[in-house]
Formats: sequence, structure tokens, C-alpha cells
Amino acid sequence: MLETGPAKKVTIYVGQDHQYHGDAVYAAILSFLFYHKVSGASATRGVAGFDADHHMQTDRILVLTANLPMKVEFIETPEKVAELLPKLYEMAGTGLIEIQDTTIVKSSETTKQAASHEGMPPLKRQGKAKLMRIFIGENDKWHDKPLHKALIESMRASEIAGVTVYQGILGYGANRRIHKDTALHLSHDRPMMLSVVDTEERLRAFLPVLDDMVQQGLVVFSDVDVIKYTHNYQEAERRKVVRS
Amino acid sequence: MKLEGKAKMLRIYFGEDDKWEDKPLYRAIVEKCRELDLAGATVFRGIEGYGASTLIRRTHHLSFSHDAPVMVSVIDADDKIQKLLPFLDKMVDEGMIAMSEVEVIKYVHQEGARSQ
Repeated sequence: MLETGPAKKVTIYVGQDHQYHGDAVYAAILSFLFYHKVSGASATRGVAGFDADHHMQTDRILVLTANLPMKVEFIETPEKVAELLPKLYEMAGTGLIEIQDTTIVKSSETTKQAASHEGMPPLKRQGKAKLMRIFIGENDKWHDKPLHKALIESMRASEIAGVTVYQGILGYGANRRIHKDTALHLSHDRPMMLSVVDTEERLRAFLPVLDDMVQQGLVVFSDVDVIKYTHNYQEAERRKVVRS
Repeated sequence: MKLEGKAKMLRIYFGEDDKWEDKPLYRAIVEKCRELDLAGATVFRGIEGYGASTLIRRTHHLSFSHDAPVMVSVIDADDKIQKLLPFLDKMVDEGMIAMSEVEVIKYVHQEGARSQ
């Protein structure tokens, strides 16, 4: 949120048709600013102008309307501007970037009050962890239940942090049998992969259970850094209320 | 076939429509892995993504021509993986190949356990 006082105003001049990675430059810049939480930005199209190449562009003659001048403007704190500038420099390509000192007299206000998350500390575990991948077949069973479902249930019961099941379209494994997803087949035996992230101790403690359940397949570990693991308690509480 | 301890995981990313000798590239890669007797390979289809060419790949429900992102994951000992690399280099001309360390906990197969 921008406060009143001194700030920087950045203006980027580009052509409407200038491209950045398959997207119009002004649109790419706008979405870059949006996802970097800039408090606001706007793109304006000029009716006529010329650039460093001295090509006159105007919308009065149909043929020349190809590359009208565009201006993207935003106002931010000097620190934020310094942080964003290197990328903007790259994106602007042949365009021009200008920075002005400005003063915010009245800051803009958000229309809806942001939900307060105070008093609801998110569960966060950061640091080294292990990623376990389990490769099995879709038709593998454990006590008449699909193995991947049984694995998820047993992991939940063991309070493993989380698991995601992926379904492959083609593959083969230890038994050399090709698992294939053919449109005209009613009996699928597609390859499945479960990806599980938790601390090494937790996963190692779970291995005996896993060993008993996975009769054929592959289990591998790799190192990962947990960057974020959060859970919105407030949202969970709200859902609980709705359900009851 | 035995596989244990330290191993390598190769992940190959490209598009579902990519071809190799008139065959889907992902199928050609899996066949090549089998030919080289690698421990296993699995193909996953993504829902959306972008890559080296920075074009958004997206699966469209109502269209037959989709170019979904595809990922092939191959795990085996380092020397086996190294044998595959020269072929991949030839076959994948637009995409990405990444390799990482893994530790094999279990690699088992039961004779006839899945006879149908």
C-alpha cells in the first residue's frame, strides 16, 4: 500500500506492436507489474507519434496504424522501482523508460478491506525435506482397494504432510509391461505416480507400511527445500461452519 | 534387474504433438528406453504450461488438436542414463532435459503378480 509523500513515477514508452516473448510488450509489462504487486499501473495508447527510428505512426491513415505509441505508467516507492527496473529494462527492448520524482498527495484506497489474518498463524515448515516418489500401476490393488487410494489413506493416517497422485499416459517399469492409455480400451492400466513431501524421519518411519503395501513398483527419494507450506485456518474454520 | 542406492532421474519436457520418425516423440522415447534396457519410464501429460518457445500450451476440451505439455520421467543408474543421453540429444529438438539425484528405496516386481 502506497503512503502519501515522495515517490517515483515510471513511464515506459513502447510501440503497440512490440513483442516480448510472444506477447505485446505493454501487456507483458502490465502483467509483470501486476504480479509484482505494484499498487497500480495503466497503459495508454497515443493517437500519433514517432519513435527513435523516425517512423511516423498515426491512426488517421489506416496503413500506418500498425504500431501506435503506447505508454505504461506506474507510481511506486523508490525501493520498489529499483527492484523492478532491471527486468523492465530488459522488457522494454527498444523503448524508452523515464523516472520522475513525484509526491503522493492522496493515496488510492482498496475497495474491499483485506481480510485480517492476525491471530491465525499459518503452519509453516521451512528447510530441508525429502520428496518421495512412488511409481505403481493404476490396477495395483491392496486388500481389494486401488493401491493409490490405500496409500493416500495410510499416509493421511500417518500424518504425512501431503501427497499428490499423478496419472501417466504411457510407461513401463520393473515388470517390463507397457502401461498404456489407449482411447479404445475399457481396461486401463495406466502408470501412476504419488509424490510425497515431508521430513526424512517422517518418511523413513512410514517405509515399513509402504513396504508391505507396494508389492511391485519403484520408490525413490530426493532432496528438496521447502519454500512454503501453509494452511489457511480461517478458511478451514469457515468451511467447517458451512458444513455443520 | 536390480536398482538400489544412488541413481539419477531424468525428466524430459516437450509437447504432446512433437514427433520422431512419424511417431509421437514420447512413445519413441519410451521405446528407446526399453531398447536400452533402462529400469523404467513414465510419461505424464500436463494441463497447461509454457517452455523454451514461451508459447502457452493448453489442452482444449473441444478441440482434437491439442499440444499439451508432456513430461517423461526416467530413473536408473548413472551409467545407464548416460547411454540414453546421446539419443535424447538427437530426438528432442525443442524442449528441456533435466537430471537430478535420487535415492532408490525400493524397486520390485513380482513374477506373474499382474497376469491378466
